[in-house]
Amino acid sequence: MEVFYYLVVSAVLFALGVYGLLARRNIIRMLLSAEIIFNSALLAFLSLASLDATYVAEGGSVVILAISLSAAEVGVIVSIALMMFRMKRTLDVYELKKFKG
Amino acid sequence: MNLFDPAFLSFSLSSLLMLISAILIVWHRSIVYSAFFLSMLGVGNAVLFAMLGFPIIALFHLAVYVGAAVTFILFSVVMLREAPTVEVPTKLLAILSSVLLAVIMINIFSVFNVQPAYTLNYRDLTSLLVDKYWFALIVAALALVTTLIEAITLARKEV
Repeated sequence: MEVFYYLVVSAVLFALGVYGLLARRNIIRMLLSAEIIFNSALLAFLSLASLDATYVAEGGSVVILAISLSAAEVGVIVSIALMMFRMKRTLDVYELKKFKG
Repeated sequence: MNLFDPAFLSFSLSSLLMLISAILIVWHRSIVYSAFFLSMLGVGNAVLFAMLGFPIIALFHLAVYVGAAVTFILFSVVMLREAPTVEVPTKLLAILSSVLLAVIMINIFSVFNVQPAYTLNYRDLTSLLVDKYWFALIVAALALVTTLIEAITLARKEV
């Protein structure tokens, strides 16, 4: 399969993620949409890395680090969402304005 | 293009799984199901990684991303028993911008109409991680430990 097809899948996923991020107000749903974008970025990154021998190992190592950091980022955002739910009983991001000191 | 070619079939099935999962993540009413479909998206992505010549990254993606991150979201979401947030009606601006983004990206990517040429060499990967990116590796490991502490703290409800 040509790399172009992988990149098309990545572009469509990216667009779906952007739609979810713009159109939803629930913080967990926004996180899930951001994760779609993250997955599409990984796919595009590895598709392009597989084109050149110089960048195969570089691309692989960067993706491994990105996946690890994404796991940490998910933990932080889910913790914020849980705290928000315990304090305000809602997951609506518009309510986050009220968290200002 | 041979429709019964195993590579073509696996690519089509994985892509279809990913696209349907992505649509359901955004539009499904239940957040728990959305989180489940994110794990399906991760599985499809791992299959595509393996097909591109990165099997070790595919395994890492399955173990760390699907096995840890998405499962963490899923179990945390189960703890939230919330009345669904009232979502505003589909915004025209969001649809327009996402369609525009997809069209622009596909146009840019049309240059890369070639087969993936190289596969990952594990020896190169490990030496690169240990020699060049050792500091980033330590930071990533520490970040994962932080997530573990967060999970334990949330589970004990100390905050």
